[in-house]
Amino acid sequence: MEQDKLKSTQKLGVAITVILVVLVALEYVVAIAMDSGNLPWMLIMNVIDAALIIYYFMHVAHLWRGGHD
Amino acid sequence: MATTSATVGTISREETAAQRRRSLNRIGLWLFILSETFLFSGLLSSRFFLSGLDRSDHLDQTLGLGITIILIWSSFTAYRAETYAFHGKQKEFSRNLVFTILLGVLFLAGVGYEWAQAFKHFPPGTGFGTLFFTMTGVHAFHVLTGLIALTAVFWVGRRGQFTSGNPWPVEGAVKYWHFVDVAWVFIYPALYLVN
Repeated sequence: MEQDKLKSTQKLGVAITVILVVLVALEYVVAIAMDSGNLPWMLIMNVIDAALIIYYFMHVAHLWRGGHD
Repeated sequence: MATTSATVGTISREETAAQRRRSLNRIGLWLFILSETFLFSGLLSSRFFLSGLDRSDHLDQTLGLGITIILIWSSFTAYRAETYAFHGKQKEFSRNLVFTILLGVLFLAGVGYEWAQAFKHFPPGTGFGTLFFTMTGVHAFHVLTGLIALTAVFWVGRRGQFTSGNPWPVEGAVKYWHFVDVAWVFIYPALYLVN
């Protein structure tokens, strides 16, 4: 049971990391492809990046829910 | 029987006190992170206020992407270290913490290399140079302090203090490390990509 929980937590970490790397690579591609006016796209992708890190890696929900994975 | 229930009551009271202490620690750390957010928000707004959407053509885009991926990777290993600490796995905890520290050092080396290039093309006296060196410098200082915190956690916890007891120091140092990552997620496009 404990081992399953650890495995699922680690899998979640891998998934979030892959999404973050894909988003950062996408930002790079957008910056290369768009000569100008890429600010809104950057902003959207940055906010998604930050939200994923804050929610899944920093466990912000533990502030009001308590506990730990 | 009465002694047993008294012991259970004492343990329960101690657990509640420990939980309350950890909750307070978390709130304190999040308030500290919030105050740091104001600092980085100020730096980001000054970047757009002073320089608009202009950026230097001499910035190494590939290096910027590379060090960003290194920092995200270090966040992942820090997350793994924290999870292993909470599950009492000392060896995996130590290994992932060492990986995190090494990746952080690699990130700093990348920033150092970028600084050496930046001095040639846009020194600190120029408009963009001032912004670049201030933003990356303040961030690099946070990376350095994060590395010191992680190294201290590794050193103190090498004999299993955190995997067999109170893992709060691990949680605190790792949360700070993730915050450093969040700050860079905004600094990287603001300096390297926005146009």
